[in-house]
Amino acid sequence: MFTYLISGLHVSSELELPGAIHEGCPAAAADVSIRRGPVPTALDGATARGPTWEMAGEVFLLRVPRLARFRITGGRDIAVEIEPGISDHDVAGFVLGTAFGILLHQRGALVLHGAAVAKDGRAIAICGASGAGKSTLAAALCRGGCALVADDICAVGLDASRRPMVLPDGRQLKLWKESIDRLDLAELRGEAVRRSFEKYYIDPSAARAEPSPLSAIYVLREARAPLKAGIESLALPDAVRMLDYEAYRPGLRAKIGQKAQLLALAATTLGHAKMFLLIRPRGFEKLQDTVDELQVHWDSLER
Amino acid sequence: MTVPSHIIWLASFPKSGNTWFRIFLANLTKGDAEPADINNLDERGGIASGRHEFEAATMLDSGLLSHDDIDDLRPRVYATIAAEASEDRWIKVHDAYTTLQDGEPLLGRNVARAAIYLVRDPRDVAISLAHHNSMAVDGAIKFMNAADGAFCGGSKGLAPQLRQKLTGWSGHVTSWLDQTDVPVHLMRYEDLQAAPAEFFAGALKIAGRSAAPDDIERAVGHADFSELQRQESEKGFAERMSRTAMFFRSGRSGGWRESLTAAQIAAIEQCHGAVMARLGYRAASG
Repeated sequence: MFTYLISGLHVSSELELPGAIHEGCPAAAADVSIRRGPVPTALDGATARGPTWEMAGEVFLLRVPRLARFRITGGRDIAVEIEPGISDHDVAGFVLGTAFGILLHQRGALVLHGAAVAKDGRAIAICGASGAGKSTLAAALCRGGCALVADDICAVGLDASRRPMVLPDGRQLKLWKESIDRLDLAELRGEAVRRSFEKYYIDPSAARAEPSPLSAIYVLREARAPLKAGIESLALPDAVRMLDYEAYRPGLRAKIGQKAQLLALAATTLGHAKMFLLIRPRGFEKLQDTVDELQVHWDSLER
Repeated sequence: MTVPSHIIWLASFPKSGNTWFRIFLANLTKGDAEPADINNLDERGGIASGRHEFEAATMLDSGLLSHDDIDDLRPRVYATIAAEASEDRWIKVHDAYTTLQDGEPLLGRNVARAAIYLVRDPRDVAISLAHHNSMAVDGAIKFMNAADGAFCGGSKGLAPQLRQKLTGWSGHVTSWLDQTDVPVHLMRYEDLQAAPAEFFAGALKIAGRSAAPDDIERAVGHADFSELQRQESEKGFAERMSRTAMFFRSGRSGGWRESLTAAQIAAIEQCHGAVMARLGYRAASG
């Protein structure tokens, strides 16, 4: 049995999860347990369904054809049935991604689709769609001295004094070969995320295993007309709307989440952490400009 | 499917008038005296290869799936979109009409009611594609001649869209025109240019959408190339790929006569002569 700390939760797992933060918590005391199947192919009494999933009450079924099925229950339990011939390693990315994202939604957490990095103990989140360049930007910031807090699932919780904190999702980034080559990070390259895929785990020079106070949320976009490169502040109503849109699988959040509770959490978060549109110029060669501009902007917030 | 699907494919090889058609539709729907903003089109269709839509429907991280894994799920994604739609959705498609390993069509009749297929003289497509992708014309021709040609088919990074098999220009045309699954309506870019109101109206009729002639005329005017160029030069266009060439660059037909070399014309005609003849595009080389 493996034990991990993921997005602030103590997790016991029968599957090894690369990149997750190991911790010595006894399995019996875990908040979440991940174990092997069996998992049905359909749910009785499903109230919502999509091409790869079904939902019935507090049970969520996720099917990845020819790979595995996952049953996520009540924010506590993930059962995994892996198809014959598929390695645990190839399934781990889906456990730490969609399955854990669903579980966090079931627990009513504020879950952003984004990366987070910290400097002097304070964190920023970088949200955006798949392919927007979140992990690449996070990697560039880590190369410049920041510590990694989250790579893809950025859960935000409140501490005892009701300040928003980013809860780390692991110690490793996942980067495509193209980004690794451009950032010259080949030395830090770990295993492939899936066998035969050119996307790899990357060990950043520093990672934070502790929750970090959230200073700001940047929504990453590419400079396509009419957007122009730069950093723009978002007015509160836009920020509230954007926070919803930048959730990890917003459609899920609408189906699973408790609306009033989430709205209150969003309001508290935005009371402490301002939200900005970070519009980056197109092209890798401009990445350092974006990093520099972001660093200056972030510093100006902390003063 | 017992109820006819709300999905209509707006299919074409790239650079063949698909965006123009979508802007016409957006203007028709908007029905305003002022032209629609090309960067804020009120059309919900989107593109069939959108990564975001795929992830929103499947909940999966598309970066953890192979191109073929994704294709296997795409028909189910479209079925969901069709089931949730309450009105027609004209969805842009650059994929060729292909079938999956188990024989199921990627873009079949079970998810779409009809397809409009837009085609343009491949000699003009080559020039337009070269500008769009900031590549040499010879490179564009090579891409159009490659039976295994695809958009976003790389494996070293995450492309903005899902992989789209194009199967070369001729392969693309015949994949759509020769399949007998989805009812398809062929439109030539050149005809649309010569008589836009007439041919747009024809496409609407096929899709079962009625519109008053005045409304069609107005939407045609709002989608006129000069208007699109005016908006792009003022504010830019979000769908532009090239950092140098305008998206709405010339739009004219027959530009290949001045722009292509004899060798380039021959390279296209040698590869695509049969399909060109079928569509009425006459060869210039012997």
